[in-house]
Amino acid sequence: MRKVAIVGAGLTKFVRRALETPKELSFEATSTALDSCGLKLEDIDCVAHGSAPDAFDGIHQKGEYLADGCGGWNKPTMRVFVGGATGVHAIIHGWHHVASGMFDTCLVVCEEKMSSAMPHAQGFFLTIFDAITERALHPNLLWIFALEMNRYMSRYGYTKEDMALAAVNNKRNGQLHPSSQFKDEVTVEDVLNSEIMAYPVSRLDVSPVSDGAAAVVLAAEPVARRLTDKPVWIEGVGWTLDTAYWGTRDLYYPRYLDKAARMAYEMAGIREPAKQINIAEPYDPFDYKALHHMEGLQLSPRGKTVELLRDGHFARDGNLPMCPSGGLLGVGNPIAAAGTMKVAELFWQLRGEAGERQVPGNPRLGVAQAWGDLMQVSSVVVAGI
Amino acid sequence: MAIPERIHRNIDTRYWNPGAEYFPVKNRYTAGVAGQRFFEELKENGKLFGTKCSKCSVTFVPARLFCERCFARLEEWVDVGLEGVLYSFTHVYRTKSDEEKENPSIVGAVRIADGLLMHHLGECNEKDLYIGMPVKAELKPVGEREGKITDIAYFKPL
Repeated sequence: MRKVAIVGAGLTKFVRRALETPKELSFEATSTALDSCGLKLEDIDCVAHGSAPDAFDGIHQKGEYLADGCGGWNKPTMRVFVGGATGVHAIIHGWHHVASGMFDTCLVVCEEKMSSAMPHAQGFFLTIFDAITERALHPNLLWIFALEMNRYMSRYGYTKEDMALAAVNNKRNGQLHPSSQFKDEVTVEDVLNSEIMAYPVSRLDVSPVSDGAAAVVLAAEPVARRLTDKPVWIEGVGWTLDTAYWGTRDLYYPRYLDKAARMAYEMAGIREPAKQINIAEPYDPFDYKALHHMEGLQLSPRGKTVELLRDGHFARDGNLPMCPSGGLLGVGNPIAAAGTMKVAELFWQLRGEAGERQVPGNPRLGVAQAWGDLMQVSSVVVAGI
Repeated sequence: MAIPERIHRNIDTRYWNPGAEYFPVKNRYTAGVAGQRFFEELKENGKLFGTKCSKCSVTFVPARLFCERCFARLEEWVDVGLEGVLYSFTHVYRTKSDEEKENPSIVGAVRIADGLLMHHLGECNEKDLYIGMPVKAELKPVGEREGKITDIAYFKPL
């Protein structure tokens, strides 16, 4: 396998309702990524595209629809789709294209436009539940996250305030991100006082509905070294499926992530991730999920995560900054694009180009993760400089 | 009850009336940065616009924000007129729920500049149609136009 580097990245602003069509959003992110490394579309050998359920954009086979906005015209183009994990999985998908020796350059582009759903994107999740045993209860997605959050909190004696601290950490980081859809500071009290949607999930425990796109450019080692003196290497990749019967999983521990993380660390030669990783972008559609995933990523001992959070361990200037981008809670959650945004954050942070939100101390190794499908798949990318 | 039996012959399934179980979520769309301007021109001024990529010598109709071939941002807007050429056509005899249409309709693919618009054909005798026939967009009157592709009522022989 060949070494693969990230050499460019681009994001649109994440917004609640974009005027741009899904194609136009993809074009904006893609052309920004190309400009960032001085490449033209003709320099790109293939496109690895990711987008979550077709229903969000309201276009069936949206991979084909989006392809030209992702630079896929007349090129080998392939879509990957693993729900919420798509944004990181698409990077792995693109990595395969280049590591295999098939292609020297690959555009990875992820897009989601959730504002088109009427009355609300939540309605589309109805049909992910078992048609015979669950759908008759008229569930929505918040139910299972509320059940999981409650189980996680009770297992370790965490409070809602503990969980809110994670939301505040990420949202504070996100305020410095130019793509963020939020401007106002959020306090623990704000989170606790926001309306309960499905106990223990309150509105500000959850990331927002967003439109946006993200793109990165991957290149094989010789090309990457020609293009930049700061290539960010993809050191490890991992992905795993847990059972699709969400009700038979350990709700308090993300086993779907445990194995994926170990796979990526092994490939990267990392033996002690909690000591060796400098920045972490765990998938954080909910505040408790950021903490839950820090444990699954082997970056925090089970049940000790809130203690570390309270001690400032996961702050921007802490030992292991958590979601320095702001994450889904702080920047926004255009599903597939949000995962790719996390990998783009590793790219900027490791190159020392994250501006106001730069993590101090010249971080050299980072991990990004996303989670999705029937809440049972996890994708992990380890990147280093 | 879930559906209790298998059906072995395709034709026996016919068409399902969705009834009360109809999926309750729909989508609303934006026309986009280029699309918004295209439809405003159609609605307000009765004009069809394309955007031209000089590098690739292509004029896209309806207007687009970017060239899919070279990724240039397209800023040259071209009034392409209302006339085009019939590139292909079809007669539609049955509805999508598989019932016979009372009035079979004619659908054309109309070439305007380098674009191809699918639209209804009107004011024409189906026997007289031929591929390569010059056609022209018949617009709805100003007050009835809504900024939609159906602001073109149909294309008719020139």
